[in-house]
Amino acid sequence: MSNGVGEGGRTQSRESQGKRKLFQGSDFAYAIARMAVAQICESVEVNVYQESQTTREGLRFSSFQESALDKLTGVAVQYVQSVGKTAKLYANVAGRVEGNSLDVVQALEDLGSGVGFGGVSDTDRCLAGSSVVKDVIRYTGEAEEMPFVYALPRFPISKEKRVAPSFYEVGVEPPDEHIPVWLPAFPGTKSCHISEEANAGAIEVEVGSKENGPSLPSIQHSFNGGGLEVLKSPNDVRKSTEGEEEVEGNPFLTAPLRFVEKEVSPVFGPVELSINHVPDKNMSNNHRIPVLEASTPSDDINKENGFAESEDGEKKDGARPQQTLLRFKVGTLKRPSCLAIKRSVQEQGWFQEGGDKREKKLGTERIDLGTVVSDVK
Amino acid sequence: MNHGQQSGEAKHEDDAALTEFLASLMDYTPTIPDDLVEHYLAKSGFQCPDVRLIRLVAVATQKFVADVASDALQHCRARPAPVVKDKKQQKVTSCSFSFLLFRLSTFDHVMNINLFFKQDKRLVLTMEDLSKALREYGVNVKHPEYFADSPSTGMDPATRDE
Repeated sequence: MSNGVGEGGRTQSRESQGKRKLFQGSDFAYAIARMAVAQICESVEVNVYQESQTTREGLRFSSFQESALDKLTGVAVQYVQSVGKTAKLYANVAGRVEGNSLDVVQALEDLGSGVGFGGVSDTDRCLAGSSVVKDVIRYTGEAEEMPFVYALPRFPISKEKRVAPSFYEVGVEPPDEHIPVWLPAFPGTKSCHISEEANAGAIEVEVGSKENGPSLPSIQHSFNGGGLEVLKSPNDVRKSTEGEEEVEGNPFLTAPLRFVEKEVSPVFGPVELSINHVPDKNMSNNHRIPVLEASTPSDDINKENGFAESEDGEKKDGARPQQTLLRFKVGTLKRPSCLAIKRSVQEQGWFQEGGDKREKKLGTERIDLGTVVSDVK
Repeated sequence: MNHGQQSGEAKHEDDAALTEFLASLMDYTPTIPDDLVEHYLAKSGFQCPDVRLIRLVAVATQKFVADVASDALQHCRARPAPVVKDKKQQKVTSCSFSFLLFRLSTFDHVMNINLFFKQDKRLVLTMEDLSKALREYGVNVKHPEYFADSPSTGMDPATRDE
């Protein structure tokens, strides 16, 4: 039990490390902040004064522990957020929505009050002349200017939401009176089929040309409802198309299957049974498989009633020459059909009307079957 | 009244200094990009259309991080270096040879090697130094020293069930 707990802890720490490697939830801003903090740490210098003070060497950090860098980035991010929160608070207290420079100065003072800064004990100090600002001014003067290494796009990038077209835009009348024209169209309207076709076409095109950057925006335009501008970085284009592919490939949104009769492959029974019964071909009732024999007593009954049914209800394909075509007979009593049944037990038609014709066909078939049987023999 | 006038003038001066600084911020590019700071400020609810204020926050954050890093660097430097016993580590590079000679004339032999080793030492930002530096700023960072696979890790092998 203790081993299990230990192992669970280990896997948990591995997972947490894996997540940390992904910058705490794949946060783009966090990754940028990490790089900026690393740059600042690199620029920090401690001057080492020698005994004779002839030379002055600057010691810098050469490398970081990854966990230490993560912690420092987290602290820096929280610092910025605290400054923002406090500045917002002071602005709201003063009855304003937008922040002021003095709000920011006050927020910096609040955060710096733990460490202490010059003049914090003065009661009538002016915010504009706060020593926090002076410290910042001095830092700006002393530290070397080091701009961020990468050029950032404007972020966070907002994705244009694909708006569902309204009834008016599609040109379809709403099904009921109470539905206004400006509402989005129902998923079942013909516009949706059109869009689905377009999506299907787009999926094929996208699957074919996944690598092509310039073709993707054109595809998006083809099924965007109303010519929405797509101004994104390539990453976002890929992301959005992937998301749209997911939507298009969603099986729950595809059209339902139509009711169609599907051809099923015929089922063939064992061949030995028919061969055994070949010598019995002369007998009208016995040159079929024993299954039919079981139905003969019922035929006798049926003769009386004029009502034919197969005993076991088996349905066989007429394509097999050795087997008979069993059909259910649902219906009324008819004398002529009785006679037809008498002629051949096996020739039982689905419908009484076409029964005679079918019997004639089967009669010819029987002759053929007889010839086939002789060949087999 | 005089005091009032003087304080009024001082206030004007302070205002002027602040506005001058804000104007000069447009020339100075802080290391932390503006977009990033604006993102986090917006996340916490601070609305401001003025770029200079965002730059002010960026520079203040940069100063804070630099202060923490320099404190950590001091802690790292102040830690006593490991005593050198291996002769291989006494090899000098050409650029610091003259420096070593200078040091030998004034200090103890062991101390020289220690100081020399310090000059050549690669400073690494570790969690220990960082937690010591951040403690002064009111941020408590506790880092576990090691992770154990199981409660019996590190115990006597005789007592372990295996």
